[in-house]
Amino acid sequence: MLKTRPWVPYLYVLPAFCLIGFIFAYPVAQVFNYSFRLIRGNSGPWVGTLNYQLIFEDPTFRSAAKHSLLLLLAVPVLLAISVLVSVLLYERARGWKIYRSVLFFPFILAVPVVGIVASYMFTLNGVVNSLLGAVGIDGPDWIGDSNKALWTLMLVIVWREVGFGIILFLARLLSLPEEQLEAARIDGAGWWSRLRYVILPELRGTIEFYCVIAAITMLAWVFGYVWTLTKGGPGDATTVLELYIYNQGLRNSLPGMASAVAVLLMGATMIFVALLFYVRRRQHEEEVA
Amino acid sequence: MTDDYLNRALSRRRFLKLAGGGIAAAGIAPILAACGGGSSSSSAGTTAASTGAAGETAASGGGEISMWWWGEQEAIGIQKWVDSTLAGFKEESGITVDPLLMDTAAVIPQFTEAAAAGKPPDTQFLFNGIYHMENVWLGYLQALNGLVPDETLAQSGATVLSVYQGKQYRVGWYIVGFGIEYDKRAFEAAGLDADNPPTTWDAFLDACDKIKTSGLIPFSAGVKDGFFGEWYFVNTLTQALDNPSQAIDLFVGNLDWTTPEYYEQWSKLQELVENGFINEDANSLELYQGIQLMETGKAAMTINTTASLPAAQEKLGENLGYFVMPVYGTGAMAGIPITDTQGFGIPTDAKDAAASAKLLEYMHSEERVNAMWSESRALPADEKFDASLIDDAFLKNVYETWWVGDHNAYVADLMPTLFWTDAMFVNSQKILAGEMTGEEAGQNAQDVSEKWVKQNPDIVANYKTWAEDLAAGQ
Repeated sequence: MLKTRPWVPYLYVLPAFCLIGFIFAYPVAQVFNYSFRLIRGNSGPWVGTLNYQLIFEDPTFRSAAKHSLLLLLAVPVLLAISVLVSVLLYERARGWKIYRSVLFFPFILAVPVVGIVASYMFTLNGVVNSLLGAVGIDGPDWIGDSNKALWTLMLVIVWREVGFGIILFLARLLSLPEEQLEAARIDGAGWWSRLRYVILPELRGTIEFYCVIAAITMLAWVFGYVWTLTKGGPGDATTVLELYIYNQGLRNSLPGMASAVAVLLMGATMIFVALLFYVRRRQHEEEVA
Repeated sequence: MTDDYLNRALSRRRFLKLAGGGIAAAGIAPILAACGGGSSSSSAGTTAASTGAAGETAASGGGEISMWWWGEQEAIGIQKWVDSTLAGFKEESGITVDPLLMDTAAVIPQFTEAAAAGKPPDTQFLFNGIYHMENVWLGYLQALNGLVPDETLAQSGATVLSVYQGKQYRVGWYIVGFGIEYDKRAFEAAGLDADNPPTTWDAFLDACDKIKTSGLIPFSAGVKDGFFGEWYFVNTLTQALDNPSQAIDLFVGNLDWTTPEYYEQWSKLQELVENGFINEDANSLELYQGIQLMETGKAAMTINTTASLPAAQEKLGENLGYFVMPVYGTGAMAGIPITDTQGFGIPTDAKDAAASAKLLEYMHSEERVNAMWSESRALPADEKFDASLIDDAFLKNVYETWWVGDHNAYVADLMPTLFWTDAMFVNSQKILAGEMTGEEAGQNAQDVSEKWVKQNPDIVANYKTWAEDLAAGQ
């Protein structure tokens, strides 16, 4: 039997480990470093927590944070639509595979394409209002009205992102043992009872995973939608944290402040990730017990 | 002992400790390098000087330089002139230029990033004023004095906004004037004198009223991307100023935006909105969508640049008119056309500054300057341009009024970008949405200016020096 020294296997993984460490650890460390400096170009003096103080004093930051948090309201909407549609597809009605493809289609479109097309459709005199006008409804100024622009943005995000949720839940449903549902049917459980007492408990892990992914998407992955659809306006009505980071970092030449916001945003997303791990661990412990 | 050490089981905890140390070292090393990056910045001059010698070799024959440019988006057709210029330059000097047409939003930020990394192009397109001056202050652009002949620098049309502390950092390229584009047919239909557009604000309001009565949108705008707000702001704020340095005084807090004369431009915009003189979908349209409303006959007037007039002519023909923003203000700059120029500069870390300087000089040869008109119908900023070549009476008049005659600097070139994003952009959109008054816009502008000063203490001093330069140059 071939004997190797115990540390040799670790040596084999070391290059990949270092590479990944460099790819992830270096930028993160640099962002932390920048957040404590007044960066001009690629360096600058240490300013302590000044960048953090400045962002909390900045009304635009507070507004952006509020809008990012409001976008989290899309998570339950995404979840409800995804679960409901995936369960309906799971019923395998005639043509369900075609419906599945159609529903997934928006997700394969690039975000800028979705944003630009939506920006034309949702103008005051755009396609959407023309269609509404045809049935006698006076459509609103979807992206030109400060009170509606964020909700329009959310609508567009939900339209595209829901495809991923549907496919995710459908894949999980298709992997369930048929016997469980069949037994429930034989026992006389109706559609609603099967959903509540059989399907949803089985989807629990996937639901938790999807909620975390959707929440992270809403907090840190919507820049493309905002930039192409509204540019953060009208006024600052759709300015979110990502756009604030972009403005401060690239347009306003304040990478230090942008990094401070990025650190906070990363912290917020890490909370969601930690929450996921906690829930999964608790679930595992319950199963073991 | 060594064998014992090697054979000792490497526990997971110990492995993680070692790996963590390795990662920390890997992470800290570049950070330390970055912290020391200041020295790379401060040594930029040395680097440029040392590369200058290598550059001389290429400049004297052969070699390749890179050029990042922008302009086709604005002066449609200028690509043709760029192509022929680079081909001609290669023929004359043997130097190949590798051009890269940049996106509007990326052309300056990407340059700044490349310059910070020490890898800028040899020749860089530069918007005027603050859009390149920040890079001057960072040490990313080198003064052209001594690299490009003084005569070329003086005649290139770079404008005073390319000069800092007596050194010029840019040569001009083509002119961009700002005014109101209008459809003469709409004026005639409203009973207005199409050949004599309004020159005062009251006459302008009267014209808007008559056009509205005739069933057309008087003034079209698309403000979603913010550029209409900028163009409107410059055309109107200028009327409250006696010289461009006052704009800097406003941006750095030496003057107060809450003084009525300094927020009057937003009150005037509010007036236009409240009277229903601007298309109601302005907030959901981008700049060029707003302009298209006018050019497709749905509106009578819009703000546009002189660079876009040849394209507008193709749609409107002889019905196209152009005039200076009507006057309401009492500043010395009121009623005078506003003209900016696009341009080029040479980065400090250009690998071949001498070849780049040679290219700029070639661009400004009389033959190339005149070719800008004949090949692309763009109006050159260079004084060597033979205006008799302009065979179009309308454009000739525009050239003479907006460039040859007395004209103002484009004060948005002095605007900190934070003011652009948080004051100008926000104010114009909120006023168009009916959610803000002119006075509130002035207060927001003041708040944003104070915020900018607080966030950029190091830049403020440069701005003040620049304002002194500009004031002294008046």
